[in-house]
Amino acid sequence: MIARRLLGVAVFAAALGVWELWAHAEDSFLFPPVSTVAERAWQVWPTSEFLLNVAGSLKRLAAGYAIGAAVGVAVGLVLGARRGVRLALEPLTEFLRAIPPIAIVPVLVVMLGLGDAMRVAVIAFGVCFPVLVGASQGVRAVSPEARDTAAMLHVGPAELLYRLYLPAALPSIVAGLRVALSIGLVLVVISEFVGSPDGLGYYILSSSRSFNVPEMYGGILFLGLLGYVLNRLFLLAERHVLFWHYGAAGELVR
Amino acid sequence: MKPPNVAGWLVVAVVVGVGEAAVRLFDLHDSVAAPSAAFGALVAGLASGELSGEIGTTLESYAEGLALAVAAGVVLGVVIGSSRVLQDASFVVIEFLRPIPAVALIPLAILFLGLGVPMRRFVIAYAAVWPILINTLYGVRGSDRLLHDVATTSGVSSAGRLVRVALPAALPSIATGIRVSASIALLVGVTAEFLSPGTGGIGSYMHQQQLAFQLPELYGAVVLVGILGYAINVALGAAERHVVFWVGEARTGAR
Amino acid sequence: MSSSADGVVVLVSGLGKRYAAEGPAALSGVSFEVSAGELLAVVGPSGSGKTTLLRLLAGLSAPSEGEVLLDGKTVRRPPREVALVFQDYGRSLFPWLSVIRNVMFPLHGLGLSRTERITRGEAALDEVGLGEVARRYPWELSGGMQQRVAIARALVSRPAILLLDEPFASVDALTRAELQDLLLRLHGDPEHRRVTIVHVTHDIEEAVYLADRVLVISPAPGRVVGCIEVGLSRPRSQPETRSLPRFLAVRNEIDALIRSQQSLRSGAA
Repeated sequence: MIARRLLGVAVFAAALGVWELWAHAEDSFLFPPVSTVAERAWQVWPTSEFLLNVAGSLKRLAAGYAIGAAVGVAVGLVLGARRGVRLALEPLTEFLRAIPPIAIVPVLVVMLGLGDAMRVAVIAFGVCFPVLVGASQGVRAVSPEARDTAAMLHVGPAELLYRLYLPAALPSIVAGLRVALSIGLVLVVISEFVGSPDGLGYYILSSSRSFNVPEMYGGILFLGLLGYVLNRLFLLAERHVLFWHYGAAGELVR
Repeated sequence: MKPPNVAGWLVVAVVVGVGEAAVRLFDLHDSVAAPSAAFGALVAGLASGELSGEIGTTLESYAEGLALAVAAGVVLGVVIGSSRVLQDASFVVIEFLRPIPAVALIPLAILFLGLGVPMRRFVIAYAAVWPILINTLYGVRGSDRLLHDVATTSGVSSAGRLVRVALPAALPSIATGIRVSASIALLVGVTAEFLSPGTGGIGSYMHQQQLAFQLPELYGAVVLVGILGYAINVALGAAERHVVFWVGEARTGAR
Repeated sequence: MSSSADGVVVLVSGLGKRYAAEGPAALSGVSFEVSAGELLAVVGPSGSGKTTLLRLLAGLSAPSEGEVLLDGKTVRRPPREVALVFQDYGRSLFPWLSVIRNVMFPLHGLGLSRTERITRGEAALDEVGLGEVARRYPWELSGGMQQRVAIARALVSRPAILLLDEPFASVDALTRAELQDLLLRLHGDPEHRRVTIVHVTHDIEEAVYLADRVLVISPAPGRVVGCIEVGLSRPRSQPETRSLPRFLAVRNEIDALIRSQQSLRSGAA
């Protein structure tokens, strides 16, 4: 196991070495050596200016993700539980879902201006659909036995949603939330390309426009790192919340 | 055939009608385009060839980038997925590159390749290659050991096994990867156009209409992109059912 | 006979069910009655509409013709005093709830305090011999134990009528015998003497071993082709009861009845 990990790390190190040597040989300002990128990152990342950019991005992600997820879960549960409503809203949701969120950006810029309301709305729009689909499919997959059990017990509609459909759909909702997280991060960057005063997207774009190339590379790397960490945290939380799901599937490692 | 979804289209009609009435009654023309105006602009744009030209430009680099990604992703995925050593060797590099959102590379790609088609082709291919590569890899790795044993005892060479066992076994998984890639690639492609004004493509067109405050044209373009995205989903779904037909069979059999 | 001493609790008359208006009947002209405290088994080959019958009794679906009377009242929706145990415990127990919370599930909305609910849940678990595993999760238990949890959940609201849909079909033979004896014990338990049980099964021996009477249903459409008094004394026990001449006679009678139906059908075809 450790030997196999080491091989991966060695290849990674070799790739960085190739980058370094190639960049020195090329000697182009567009292609700085990895050592230069690292050096600049070491200087820039701890500055309050850079950290404010990170905080700005995280703030927008949190707001947009929370709104999109809440809407997605609420609408998805209803769509899953009510076939009539699902059919009635199908053409509309299928069409909205197919629009790449970037196309919503200019529409929202006109409607909401260049402020954070536009950015949060774009993120929420993109986040909402995978969660909605997950919730709807999760509810539809509830076993007939479970439905009958609830029917035998005269469980009211609100309680049915909370005590049966929501927990039963949770694994599927969480899968949607995981997809939505990476979409959310993409949309943070996109929305910050458009008239933003700060944020990682702004940082990357403005670094490239002012030809601060090593800073731009650093920004991209930081974004990758952020995505990785967020995904890891999500998986940790998922294992915690869905232990019963993995247990029932026989995949629980204790 | 399924009966037409009357209720669904009725809801669409009601939403459009309410939108139209709201724009007219509250005079929202400054922030929202009326559906009738947007539809008119869409039809006019398509008839004049302006909008159809832009969408053609978008589709061209989209198709090229996606094709590149499919080729690279499937080949790399099959090769890496069928070798333990290559998997271990590439693991860290893949895990490092994969979380970087492709849209973040657009400014970098612009520096290297300029605002034109090669830049778009590159970012689309980069965005699309990851889901295809990862899904192919898992598909190959998850393929049934037994199938490989059958092939080996039937005298198939190891290269033959790659093409005749590993690849077909991974096909359902590859199809999933392509479907995920297709929508990411569209998002990244239109975003790249949006960030390179005046160089053609529907994204660039939308940016211009936004700056010029031509709301009906802007909304018409959004509807067109939505239809395009929907058509791509439907086409890929149909192609998937056709190519990996046995997955559906296995699924219904298991129920 | 149990039916002479007590009143009729379930009266089924002319019951029929079609799933599509013009489609074939799953059930046709089914009439029988169940007395208070009786254990009635329903046997029939697969496709004889046994599960359909049970769902009609439970008020989970509406009959196309005829009706089900419970204490003289027509069943239109699931009655409070009826509980149902499914064959597939893996899908009827909630994996996100611990064993005790699964058992307590029916007690919500009855105006009981939390302590009362826990007390009754634990009592129900003790009855099926699972007091030890209350805090575990269903998927940590064996199939037989999971089905005991399902039985405890059915009993916790103290139903007057217990409906069982092939409850022991998904467990191994040894566990099945154990669960059969558990059911007999619960049925014979002074505290549960009034529980009326309708037990659907395709296992003829199980039906004879457990029941006071066995209702035999023919396939497609399901009709009652016979109702046989078992007439074995209680308490019963696995090896002794099953080797009694009476047991074998009843078993063979039912077997012959079902076979005659099948040969009738193949002769007609």
